[in-house]
Amino acid sequence: MKKYKIIILLALVGTMGVSNALAQTGNEIADKVFNRSAPENGESDMTMALINSKGKERQRFLHQFFKDYGDTEKSTMFFKSPADVKNTSFMNYSYDDDRDDDQWLYLPALKKVKRISGGSKDDYFMGSDFTYEDMEKRNPNKDLHKLLKTETLNGETCYVVESTPKEEGQYSKRVAWVIKDKWIPLKIEFYDEDEELLKILSITEYEKLVGYWIIVTQEMENVQREHKTVIGLTNINIENGIGDTYFTQRAMIKGL
Amino acid sequence: MNRITSFILKNNIGILVVTLLFTIASIVVMVKNIYLETDLDEYMPKDHPSFTNSDEAEELFDIRDAMVIAIENKEGVYNPTTLQKVKDLTKTLGRMEEIQKSDITSLYTADNIRGSEEGLEIDEFYKKVPTADKKLLSIVDAVTTNDMIHGLIVSEDQTATLIITKIDDEVFTEDFYHSIVDLADSYQGDGDKLYVAGQPIIEGTMAILMPKDMKTMLPIVMVLIVVVLMFVLKSFKATILSMMVVIFSTMWSFGIMAAFSIPIYAVTTLIPVLLIAIGVADGIHMFSHLQLYMTSNKDKTKEEKISNMISEMWKPVVMTSITTAVGFLSLLTSEVYPIKYFAVFAALGVLFAMVLSLVVIPAGTQLFGLPRRTKRSEMKSDTFSKASEWFALNITKYKKAYVVWTVLFVLFFGFGASKVWINSSFLERFPASNPIVQTDAFVNDKFMGTTSINVILEGDEENTFKSPEVLNLAEKMMNETIVKFDQIGGGISLNDFLKRMNKVLNEDREEFNSIPDKSDLVAQYILLYEMSGDPDKLWEVVDEDFKTGNYNFQVKTDNSKTLEDILEHLETYKNDFKALGVDVNFAGSGYTLLLFNNLILEGQIKSLVLSFFIVLILLALMFKSWKVGFIGTIPILITAIISFGVLGWLNIPLETTTALISSIAIGIGIDYAVHFIDRYKINALATSDKELTITKTMSHSGRAISFNAIVVIAGFLVLLVSEFLPNQALGAIVSLNMFTSFFGTVTIMFLVLYITNIYFKKKK
Repeated sequence: MKKYKIIILLALVGTMGVSNALAQTGNEIADKVFNRSAPENGESDMTMALINSKGKERQRFLHQFFKDYGDTEKSTMFFKSPADVKNTSFMNYSYDDDRDDDQWLYLPALKKVKRISGGSKDDYFMGSDFTYEDMEKRNPNKDLHKLLKTETLNGETCYVVESTPKEEGQYSKRVAWVIKDKWIPLKIEFYDEDEELLKILSITEYEKLVGYWIIVTQEMENVQREHKTVIGLTNINIENGIGDTYFTQRAMIKGL
Repeated sequence: MNRITSFILKNNIGILVVTLLFTIASIVVMVKNIYLETDLDEYMPKDHPSFTNSDEAEELFDIRDAMVIAIENKEGVYNPTTLQKVKDLTKTLGRMEEIQKSDITSLYTADNIRGSEEGLEIDEFYKKVPTADKKLLSIVDAVTTNDMIHGLIVSEDQTATLIITKIDDEVFTEDFYHSIVDLADSYQGDGDKLYVAGQPIIEGTMAILMPKDMKTMLPIVMVLIVVVLMFVLKSFKATILSMMVVIFSTMWSFGIMAAFSIPIYAVTTLIPVLLIAIGVADGIHMFSHLQLYMTSNKDKTKEEKISNMISEMWKPVVMTSITTAVGFLSLLTSEVYPIKYFAVFAALGVLFAMVLSLVVIPAGTQLFGLPRRTKRSEMKSDTFSKASEWFALNITKYKKAYVVWTVLFVLFFGFGASKVWINSSFLERFPASNPIVQTDAFVNDKFMGTTSINVILEGDEENTFKSPEVLNLAEKMMNETIVKFDQIGGGISLNDFLKRMNKVLNEDREEFNSIPDKSDLVAQYILLYEMSGDPDKLWEVVDEDFKTGNYNFQVKTDNSKTLEDILEHLETYKNDFKALGVDVNFAGSGYTLLLFNNLILEGQIKSLVLSFFIVLILLALMFKSWKVGFIGTIPILITAIISFGVLGWLNIPLETTTALISSIAIGIGIDYAVHFIDRYKINALATSDKELTITKTMSHSGRAISFNAIVVIAGFLVLLVSEFLPNQALGAIVSLNMFTSFFGTVTIMFLVLYITNIYFKKKK
């Protein structure tokens, strides 16, 4: 299974042939979310805002490329600002099997590409409130799913599904509000190992591009750390046939 | 006054019922409203510039005092059982309501930053507890090569490891303390010994222990004062009425405190003991007068005797109460809230005691009858009169000797007073045998230290802390300071992160264990760290704008002298930093302690001087003479000098309690002089005979004063057996001060009165 997916930032969910949602079970809903199609490649600008408990905000601007090679998913990100980290680049290979991701970072001041340890999936992505696991499509077989209820959220009819992992993991459970027919989880609550609410993911903006549902703005709030990350995408360009050269150490060094 | 007295005597039952009702009402309010405040930060004036600065920094960097659980295993902590305990304890603590998971640092949660062949790895030391020797050894290796963990979380000799938990001051309750201790205890065994330590534990324990200690000491003090009152007044009724006055006035004072929702601070718990000691004085003087009057006026009616007691004694009772209240109120100059509250409610209590003495004692005596005195006690009182007459004459005979001795005493103790130093150490208030002291000593011995001083460096623009120049100066400050002071166990700062990263990203070469030479490189290291580790740890040493850095030192003692020396040394870097546009400020538990310290000292000196002058003016007004005012302050001046002199010579540091008492001593000590001078004046004007005046005054006033001193001294000496050092000090100092005030009054002040011929001149 794909372990980490940076790509999911761009397309956490795609459309699926609209099924007639009659009596859906928790498992069926989870399968539908998992099996949505996603764009195979693309690029976009990305704004990452990190907001601490005092409301102080730090912003980063990046440009990202991604491409799905079937068994491997590759992505590269270049920092555009702040100025002192400009041209720093990050590359991630995520594999379908259980292997750890391979990650590299190029530091222009050191003029060296460094490998970062394929840290555990509960590591935070770039110091944000997203862990790598949060950005991964999780195989529904790993969890037990239960449909709790159906309710309206932000004007959308949502299935509220509780997913409990079969094996102990980063979270004790997740509760997702999945939009009926679009299969986008509009909101996910993450509970820590002591079953206390840890984080809330909210998808605040999504649009249909080239037949895919693309999440444009999403926000992850860690209620225990009182810290928030907002990730927004602009200049989205998908299925534009990105070349393989973007996913090499040479490309990282060369910069945008 | 006569009309009031006759009203009181007529309505004695009504008055006693009303006072009783007030007392019951006070108790009801107290039970409902009263609570204990143990948070030291609540003691500080919020708007004091030094505090606002350090508060800001403490909030910015989440600097909080940490509670520490230490696990010691003489065979070494790197074994599956101990590591399992570290993991379990970390998790259990994290589940506690009072604790935030992210505030816990242990070997289980710590980041292991290390270099690998190609780059950087930041991960945990272990997740699942390893059982294989090979894996255990790899942890040992990872820890010993990591300066950010070695000596910090695991002791250098590998026999102890810490679980450090930051807690908010307000979560510390007695229950919380017990649950932590019980938790630690439940992990004892298998060669592991567990300890609980840290500043919050010390402060919290003290805040809990001090009132608790007072609670056990108070009844003992009361019983003893009752016994001694019985001994000197020889009357059950007089003793009961005197005790009623002080108990009621204490209740009223605390009732009002509760009604205004003012919490009880550690220092407030001194009020009952003080009030009892001070309050009984009114009763002693009144009953002492009554008994003397009864002996010489046997044919007078009960009402006449009581009326005489009031008309002769109300003036000195009111005067002494006012001077005492003023002594307390002078503490309002303090910037420390509990001391302000202490001042107000102690003064209030004294005034209540005054009113109650003048009301309850006559009403009660009217209702229950005059205190009876045995024949034997009358004979004894006769002996006392003879002794005091001899004493008075003896003093006037050897004038010069008394003056010379007084001067010598004052010089000797005055020199001692110059050696007084202040200590705000909390730890040093516990006896060395206390487990808290021993635990702290253990943790301080094995690790970096439990008291922190944080140097807060604030640049004038963003990214100041990416500048190698600034970072290198800070590095110099850190290194030099740690080398200079043995008591500093170490420290942590942004520099440690940068040096560690620089080293591991350069193939772990020792020559790169230094600050990176370019600011972009610093920025990129930071980014790399953020991408690989827990960025929250970074925001404890630098702010997100890189404008302000937090350079922490851990100190192995909270002794004020040591902390002051360290701060003084750190101040020397101010100019160098200023040249780079960086301001130097301080924060941390050690710094707060020192500030607290200085505020207290400042307040004490202010209030000492103030109360002295107010008392002087009051005396001058009361006796309508500046000269008498000056003479009256002689005993308290001597008392203050001897009090500080003893502290200085015995090398006992001044701390909150001791400092407080010294300034109150003025208000209390003056009472003896007031009673004495008042009686001297009455006698002088009545007899115009100097010889007769001194002997009569000595046998009347001297008698009451010595009774008063005996009661108070006996009561307070009990506190010497308290297990709590400040309460011991309280007992010793009050006893000493009472004795010197008493002795100074009946010797040197008396002598000056005598020599100056005051109240006799006009007649000549």
